[in-house]
Amino acid sequence: MTKLLTLLTILLALAALASLHLGLRHYAPGTVLDALRGGTSPDAIIVATLRVPRTLVGLCSGAALGLAGFLMQAATRNPLAEPGLLGINGGAALAVVLGVTLGNAPGLAGIGALALVGGLAATALVFGIVAAAGRAAGPATTLLAGVTVAAMLASLTQVLLLVDETALETMLFWLSGGFAGRDLELLALGLPALVVGCLGALVLAPSLDALRLDDDSAGALGVRVTGVRLAALTLAAILASGAVAMAGPVVFLGLVAPHLARRLAPASGSAGLIAATALTGATLAVLADIAARLIVAPGESPIGAVLALVGVPVLVGLLRQRREAVL
Amino acid sequence: MTNLPPFLRLGLLVALLGALTVLATGMGSSHMPPGRVAAALLGYGARMDEVIVWTLRLPRVALAILAGMALALSGALLQRVTRNPIAAPSILGITDGAAVGAVGFLWAFSDDANLLVVSIHWQPLAAITGAFAFAGLVTILAFLDPGGRGPLRVILYGVALAALAKAAVTLLMIVGPVYRAGQALTWLTGSIAAAHWSDVFVVAAGLAISAVLLLVARSTIRQLVLDTDSAAATGVPVGRAQVALLALAVGLTALAVSQVGAIGFVGLVAPHVARLFHGAFAGGYLAATALIGGVIVLAADTVARMIAAPLELPAGALTALLGAPLFLWLLLKGRRTHG
Repeated sequence: MTKLLTLLTILLALAALASLHLGLRHYAPGTVLDALRGGTSPDAIIVATLRVPRTLVGLCSGAALGLAGFLMQAATRNPLAEPGLLGINGGAALAVVLGVTLGNAPGLAGIGALALVGGLAATALVFGIVAAAGRAAGPATTLLAGVTVAAMLASLTQVLLLVDETALETMLFWLSGGFAGRDLELLALGLPALVVGCLGALVLAPSLDALRLDDDSAGALGVRVTGVRLAALTLAAILASGAVAMAGPVVFLGLVAPHLARRLAPASGSAGLIAATALTGATLAVLADIAARLIVAPGESPIGAVLALVGVPVLVGLLRQRREAVL
Repeated sequence: MTNLPPFLRLGLLVALLGALTVLATGMGSSHMPPGRVAAALLGYGARMDEVIVWTLRLPRVALAILAGMALALSGALLQRVTRNPIAAPSILGITDGAAVGAVGFLWAFSDDANLLVVSIHWQPLAAITGAFAFAGLVTILAFLDPGGRGPLRVILYGVALAALAKAAVTLLMIVGPVYRAGQALTWLTGSIAAAHWSDVFVVAAGLAISAVLLLVARSTIRQLVLDTDSAAATGVPVGRAQVALLALAVGLTALAVSQVGAIGFVGLVAPHVARLFHGAFAGGYLAATALIGGVIVLAADTVARMIAAPLELPAGALTALLGAPLFLWLLLKGRRTHG
């Protein structure tokens, strides 16, 4: 496990360096190093002010979204759970847009708070609806209910934006989701969420291990099933909201990262998976961001489109894997 | 309502659609009372009124109605063929597949100056190709699924591929002709703002052909309500009938999407409203579905024009707000009864 985590860390570092190097203009490794050391050549300044923030924001959002997906999947024993598909990101985005439309320009903290409220509300809504459907609601029903709520929230967001044209101009870029052009100060929103989420997840890890069994066995092991579940979902909402506040709604990372981590460390317990998922999510986000710069150059693709190209095959693969009728 | 004779119920729907048409046509930057609209429609209004009604307002109203009819019929056919009450073109990825075709057409057939090198009239064909490609992919994935073909499984594959199609549309819009990217909302959410009579005729022709086919096959369609074996026992070639109706459903959706963009949820909502209002087994169920689809899209488009005038919302955003709760209800209700 230690070996794997070291390997993933090295991979992440390489991806981050590549993200500083590659783009519409490739900067020589020397320039990148110069920028990291605080150089003042024009190229170094460009790297430091454009490439460094987007790499850091991508890294931080990727880790947060991956972890959010892992927590949702572990808490609900649902391999298809993911903050983007289930509408959690959409809820956070809607709350931010609502705040911008109603009030005048909430500050950085305001955006963070709005995203958090929206993310928590959407989590409560989706899982409340599913809980209301009774025990029979399997992963598929949860996914479909979440996708539908997500569609509804997106429509509401769109209506709000069209009614308020000034909001449209300021929000459209953020809403399309991505790591480019984000301020470094946004990390002040994402990092605390990521730290809280990581620590909380590690605290919950032993209980999440027990939750892999059925509810009764977990209960017999002394795990307070409902409490753990609620705590994990709350943490997931905090993580997802932090990521949305930074990078806008980004789909599929929360689905792909935990599954990749599980593939890489099939025998690992929850604590190891949490670390592996955070690293995988961060690496995937940075790589997707690089791809977004390159595949439609000189234009720039929204990160969501790139991630869908990877995420949909993973989703289809997961659907095919579930032989037993979990519907 | 269901104790009225079928033709009366259909008559009521036609009357509702007519009233809504007059109302919607009167609405706009210069308001026109219903009397003047009716006069202009029937051809003895003032000259100015007739110009406004026939060249400016009516194409949009007609396109909304016809697109709604096509989407609703498509949904009803899909629900019957897949025997699945939550099937609908937008849920099975067909709507977004058609959008891929339509946007891909603009990308593939534009020259360096962003001008189309072939006639725009070929666009519906591209939309149909895209819709068939995605519908085929969903069908193949569901067919090859090792876990059997549960009704939810098809829909999950549809949802997954719809996400893929949306990503493809986004990418095509970026690499495609720049000035058309402004129509992003149209292709992704559906809007009827830019309607011409030629668009109306395309959808009308498709609907007319479909209506004839459905009339010819009406007894077969009715027997598909039965389970596969019983339907086969009544002499229906079940497999072939299913494929043919599926193809018809895909074609209808593609045609509508190629003209108005990806308006979702109409194909889900209209058949269910028709079931409540008219009854799924009464004669003229498909006709009732089509009329209700027309009413829904026209109403959505009219509200979309009014609600934030002079701004216009995409009609598709409103149909999603209406349809999503219904889908949730159907999904969870089904869960509860079948456990």
